[in-house]
Amino acid sequence: MKRRAALLTVALFVFLLPLAWTALAAFGLVPDNSSRPPSWAGSFSLEHFGEVGVAEPAFWQELTTSTIAAVTASFITIAVSYPAAYALARSRSRIESLVSPAFVVLASLPAMSYVIPLSDLMRRVHLLDTLAAVVLSEAAVTAPLAVYVLHGACRQLSAEFEEAAVLDGAGLARTLILVVLPMVAPAVVATAIVVFVIDWNLLLVPLVLTSGELKTVPLAMSDFFTFERELEWPVAASALVISLAPVALLVALFHRALQRFALEASGPESSDE
Amino acid sequence: MRLSRRDRLVLFSPLAVLLTGWLVGPALLGLLSTFTTYSPFTTSFRFVGIDNYLAVVRDPQFAAAARNIALFTATAVPLEIIVGFAIAYLLREPFRGRAGLRVLLLLPWLVSPIGSGVMWHFLLGTTNGFVNFVLGWLGFPDVSSPLGDLGLALPVVVAVEVWRLAPFVAFLFLPGLSAIPRDRWDVARISGASWLHEVFDVALPAIRPLLITVTMLLTGFALGSFDVVLILTGGGPGTATMTPALYSYAQAFETNEWPAGAASAWLIAGAVLAIGFVYVRLASESDSK
Repeated sequence: MKRRAALLTVALFVFLLPLAWTALAAFGLVPDNSSRPPSWAGSFSLEHFGEVGVAEPAFWQELTTSTIAAVTASFITIAVSYPAAYALARSRSRIESLVSPAFVVLASLPAMSYVIPLSDLMRRVHLLDTLAAVVLSEAAVTAPLAVYVLHGACRQLSAEFEEAAVLDGAGLARTLILVVLPMVAPAVVATAIVVFVIDWNLLLVPLVLTSGELKTVPLAMSDFFTFERELEWPVAASALVISLAPVALLVALFHRALQRFALEASGPESSDE
Repeated sequence: MRLSRRDRLVLFSPLAVLLTGWLVGPALLGLLSTFTTYSPFTTSFRFVGIDNYLAVVRDPQFAAAARNIALFTATAVPLEIIVGFAIAYLLREPFRGRAGLRVLLLLPWLVSPIGSGVMWHFLLGTTNGFVNFVLGWLGFPDVSSPLGDLGLALPVVVAVEVWRLAPFVAFLFLPGLSAIPRDRWDVARISGASWLHEVFDVALPAIRPLLITVTMLLTGFALGSFDVVLILTGGGPGTATMTPALYSYAQAFETNEWPAGAASAWLIAGAVLAIGFVYVRLASESDSK
């Protein structure tokens, strides 16, 4: 057990030190490597967070765009994936065992392999530079993974409850929403959060579908760097902290539900804590 | 519950519309266009067979990109799996503070690839980075960022991606490892098995389906590497970190060589689909067992 504690400490150090270094810089504490030995310079301040809006005047607007796009896209992903996942879980096992891994393959398909024609298609239907195109494309990126995970959750349910509901005269929609959904709710919430994080961080999809007016946070950050504008480390660090905060908060709040994000549902979940 | 054909159609159609319109449809139209000179910038186009593909694979830049991505995938994916598995293995049993650790150790994955690129650009840089901070304390002179070094750039990009994705792999492995019944670990422990036996005889067989699914996802992500490389090195120095996705993007959107861009993008898709074919066979076999 001592060994486990030691190894976990090392892991925490390796994975969190870069983030701690960034957080310190965001609050104004930066190392000065020019002195010997290197020292810490600057004092604690919050002003760098304000400077983000000076370096990138549209930053707060971009944060809003990112939030709206990721929230809407996650809702659409779950709304279209859940019925399909349920249908897949209740399909003949021969079909299910071939179709469900195909969704993993789709989830693994890099966006680059289809965004070139996608951007052309969106231009032709006059959806370039619209939030609608960004949202629907983001929803499509994450839908295959959502179908796969939710299908695993539905598969674990015994069909008795649904059959009872149908015998009571409930239709398909009622059964799905009032009977099945409450039972798979933890998995749905976990999937929605993972999907939100993926959408929040997407670059390529919004990149090829917009030409500058509409920007998400990753897009704004990449523009900043590719156009080689000078950016101070504390300001960049502040922007990083701001863009990480919403997803970190979400994950911390829902950490218990997130344990139900199982790619391969295997046996009854062991609950803890 | 038994679903009628009509039920199934109703349940699948919203997903089918979304995927056809915004993922599979564009991908297939793209595939068709790679056999032509089609480009949105010209009015007419003609059929050219596999000429676009030949032009791409003969381009030394693409050859460098293919070599880099092979190296990248072959090192990043196993490292992500090993480190991710190790973290999940250490967290598999409940103990005080585990919930907090799980959240903290997931943080790197929550940083976007772009954000991670920006962060590591500064951390590896000279003035405010931590590499030189540590070196300075040890009395060594400053070194310039390894991202500008021909030999070091690719390994550093691999390391940055492992830092970002290993926590996600741990997150994916944890439910599988936690679901292994306690008595199986106990049996291994009582018989005096070392941790190596626990890993190979208890853990890995139990999570085999999970392991191959995670490998599939990571391989796809690795073959499509774009964001993090774009920020860290832009493909350089020279072509040291050029990837097929960066190549494809530059061809289609920067130099307006649309057919070359579309064809090279389909080479990435083809590689992922070929691996996906093997994956589907493996997964459906272990499913029917």
